[in-house]
Amino acid sequence: MKTIVLCYRKVIDANTLQAWEQMVYEDSYTEFKLQFQNLDKNHEYHTYAELLRNLPNAEQLNFLISPSIVGYLRQLQERIPDVVNILGKHFLNFKQFRFELINSDIRTISKHKIAVSFYSEPMIWLDTIGNHLLLAERGQAEDQPILTHLFPLQPFVNIHSLQQ
Amino acid sequence: MERKNFLRSLMVGVISTPVLWEACKKDTDTTAVSTETVSNSGSGTSASTCVVSPTETEGPFPTKSPSAYVRSDITDGRTGYKMKAKLTIANVNNNCAALAGAIVDVWHCDAEGNYSEYGGSGMQSTNYQSVHFLRGRQTTDANGLVTFTSIFPGWYTGRATHVHVHVYNASGTSLKVTQIAFPEGSGTAVAIVNGYAKGLSGYTYNANDNVFSDDTAKLEIATVTGSIAAGFDLSIKINVPG
Repeated sequence: MKTIVLCYRKVIDANTLQAWEQMVYEDSYTEFKLQFQNLDKNHEYHTYAELLRNLPNAEQLNFLISPSIVGYLRQLQERIPDVVNILGKHFLNFKQFRFELINSDIRTISKHKIAVSFYSEPMIWLDTIGNHLLLAERGQAEDQPILTHLFPLQPFVNIHSLQQ
Repeated sequence: MERKNFLRSLMVGVISTPVLWEACKKDTDTTAVSTETVSNSGSGTSASTCVVSPTETEGPFPTKSPSAYVRSDITDGRTGYKMKAKLTIANVNNNCAALAGAIVDVWHCDAEGNYSEYGGSGMQSTNYQSVHFLRGRQTTDANGLVTFTSIFPGWYTGRATHVHVHVYNASGTSLKVTQIAFPEGSGTAVAIVNGYAKGLSGYTYNANDNVFSDDTAKLEIATVTGSIAAGFDLSIKINVPG
């Protein structure tokens, strides 16, 4: 039996319209502009790409911005958004995440593009049926039928890790 | 914008339908069929990913949430001797009067000398509950004061004990990036804490520190009182061009 961790990478940019995404988008941009000044001490640059090309520690912006979205992650109550089982229900839980700056520019929010990766709690991979994984939560009673989720493979969801 | 245009084009379609209907009814041989092809197919993404859409009751509804940096107690369960830090921010462009409404970020390492941050490779995830220990943000009051509750910082190779500070004005423009140094010598907090479990062997003192060694006026050194039992109190005044 294999145990897997799924990773859903949610990309948010200026075209994303929903309320949660917009708050994450705006607050991460505000924090980007604050933290940018930590690195660009001589006011030489405008974009994250420029910092990456010119400063060895620019990647730490990903971490430094991440607390700006923690409040919104809490509001999800450990449920991974968007990804649903074949019944159309959210079913993956998370505690681990990663914030990722894709592009950003201190001159305009419209260039801001980010991704939030959600790492699921470990799931048992029981079987594969067509394009679907048959998954079960861990820790279920052994003398009862195991409750399962049929989960269609889809873009932006990866099997992040696998344990035999 | 694209969506708006798309909706408008639908409405035009609805309005013009009766006209077309009329045209069809007349059915004259002179009716020309338009050969204009669609140049804008719309921007829906439904066809590109073949997955089930969520079908659940809406909610919970998101609410505006301040950055997790904004807190006075930045300990986050890190073990160490308690330290209360009082920073007073003054404006050198206003006779060093208190600067109210300034945003003050502080961060420092834990007892072992480690900072909170993602470690290692780009694949690494982190628990959202404990991601940013020993980092915090406060806004100065009318007296220019911010207060943080934390632990006495540890140390790491190459640096004297220090706390990082970044002061912004109320609109987020950087006014000063600096570091707070600690008094040294017998009877000081640095000597009493004695580097926690590490001791002070190989410690870099302020005079040899690449940040503090040029601070001959000792402007960056805080006043630190207290004891391990009662906790330490750090205070410093930081002048910024407000």
